[in-house]
Amino acid sequence: MSDLKLVDVSKSFGAVEILKKVNLDVKAREFIVFVGPSGCGKSTLLRLIAGLEEITSGELIIGGERMNDVDPSHRGLAMVFQSYALYPHMTVEENMGFALKFAGMPKAEIRERVLAAARILNLEPLLARKPKALSGGQRQRVAIGRAIVRQPKVFLFDEPLSNLDAELRVHMRIEIAKLHRRLRVTTIYVTHDQVEAMTLADRIVVLRAGVVEQVGSPLDLYDDPANLFVAGFIGSPKMNLLPAVAVITAAGRTALRLPDLGDTLVVLPDGTPRLDEGRAVTVGIRPEQFSANGSAAFDLTIDIVEHLGGTTFLYARKDAGTAIVVEMKEGRTHKPGDAITVRFDPAALYLFDADGSRIRAGV
Amino acid sequence: MSPLRLLNRVGVYGFLGAMVFLSVFPFLWMVVGMTNTTGDIILGHLSLGHAFLDNTAKFFVQANAPLIFWNSAKISLFGTALTLIVSSFAGYGFEIFRSPTRDSLYAGLLFTIMIPFAVLMIPLFMIMGKLGLINTHIAIILPTVASGFVIFYFRQATKAFPSELRDAARVDGLKEWQIFLYIYIPTMRSTYAAAFIIVFMATWNNYLWPLVVLQTNEMKTITLVISSLASAYYPDYGVVMVGALLATLPTLVVFFTMQRQFVQGMLGSIK
Repeated sequence: MSDLKLVDVSKSFGAVEILKKVNLDVKAREFIVFVGPSGCGKSTLLRLIAGLEEITSGELIIGGERMNDVDPSHRGLAMVFQSYALYPHMTVEENMGFALKFAGMPKAEIRERVLAAARILNLEPLLARKPKALSGGQRQRVAIGRAIVRQPKVFLFDEPLSNLDAELRVHMRIEIAKLHRRLRVTTIYVTHDQVEAMTLADRIVVLRAGVVEQVGSPLDLYDDPANLFVAGFIGSPKMNLLPAVAVITAAGRTALRLPDLGDTLVVLPDGTPRLDEGRAVTVGIRPEQFSANGSAAFDLTIDIVEHLGGTTFLYARKDAGTAIVVEMKEGRTHKPGDAITVRFDPAALYLFDADGSRIRAGV
Repeated sequence: MSPLRLLNRVGVYGFLGAMVFLSVFPFLWMVVGMTNTTGDIILGHLSLGHAFLDNTAKFFVQANAPLIFWNSAKISLFGTALTLIVSSFAGYGFEIFRSPTRDSLYAGLLFTIMIPFAVLMIPLFMIMGKLGLINTHIAIILPTVASGFVIFYFRQATKAFPSELRDAARVDGLKEWQIFLYIYIPTMRSTYAAAFIIVFMATWNNYLWPLVVLQTNEMKTITLVISSLASAYYPDYGVVMVGALLATLPTLVVFFTMQRQFVQGMLGSIK
């Protein structure tokens, strides 16, 4: 179990800069998840850590040692790939023991380690099979088993559940969480699925265009996003983001005019930042923050209703304005075309400046 | 069934039947021919005759069968093995490694496929002469080892080789040549099988270049010997057909034993 540190790590392919001065401290035994949209550089960052790509500039330190020029097999890492990357001509047992055999470990010790990993992952009955005779979930377990037998200092997972169906994905997610609790190995996990990120991570690293936008615990990121991108990226359904213009009322209070909601005026409560008249901002409100008793209210027409059983999501809009997602615990009677009045507490609003940065109290 | 459909069906089957006849007839003619005398063959006798043992005995008298078989087998097996090793290595390299000159080099390589062998024959003969390899089997093997077509075939097949397998092998501690040896070759087994059949058949049936470069009887291959039997002053076609059958057998055996892998290899090794 090692800590891992990235210091000003950059990566370029020719003239294209994929990662820009990434800094990150991963504590020993921590479960870190890299998330971000396609092309944000999260997989490249993982490959740099694994040694499958060269670092253009900056330093990678694992367990106190600089690892930039160390061969992938000597970094003390094990990696689980999206497509499992099992060697098709080897049995499960051979796949799991291959790296150890190659490192010259005695046969008896390899078998012992493979059996121990197989026991943890319920792979014992499958040891003699070849990968083509396994289901997707079994292959994924073998890929994880292959990583476990190496007893690495750091586990790397590159979108390991993307090829599984929804049910199996949930099951494997739980398995990975259990495994981490059991083995307590430092883990770095790449995904574009934010549910995986929220449920597995001790801390999430949100990346966009090669830059770390925010690092924090899942709930920190959800409750306190640093900017508009993180606010929009974390949470499903997404946070509602509406353009707004600051207005100073006759009483000298700051209010927001929301053009997408028929120029509704929302007076901001005390303690929220004072904004200059006419300042363009973006207002964010999460779907579950609409309630029956907020002080701000507006009327909407429902476009689409999604009944999930315990919860209902309404996609509604005012005239031709932006669609707003509203989460309702008791919304079973709603149907498309219905008019509804939604309320929220202005204190729950998130405010973002024109450049996307968060406007916090006192700014 | 409507008359139009029936006509269509008859047309399709008629065409397919003609194609089957065209493919099978030479084999049939060969088998029938080796049981008949030259006279019967010239008269177009299409049924089995009684001269098989006589023709076979004559073949073994006129040709040193064990030697020419050994020559052909040696050249074909060594040549095929070397071609597969060198060309698959090149195909793998072309696909896996990036360099600014890769595409122009590859285009040049593809261009070589279009050059007819007759154009290359004289310069090649001069090169072999300078190397002192005339009338050696190495002179047959060497020019085919880096085959443009086989390199092209392996590069195309390597496109289906998952890059993550290579990454996993690197994390497991394998160097590039070890990845090629322990992961790539076993994974691409069907591709190798298909390439083996193609190259083996081409080498076994190779005629023009061995004719030019092999000069003494003890170095000659089976195709050259059959040809010399057929071009005698009074060719004995029954004997030629025995030779033709014996020359065909190894390629048939190779094809039928590796048929399944051949089809898989042509479709792509990775599924």
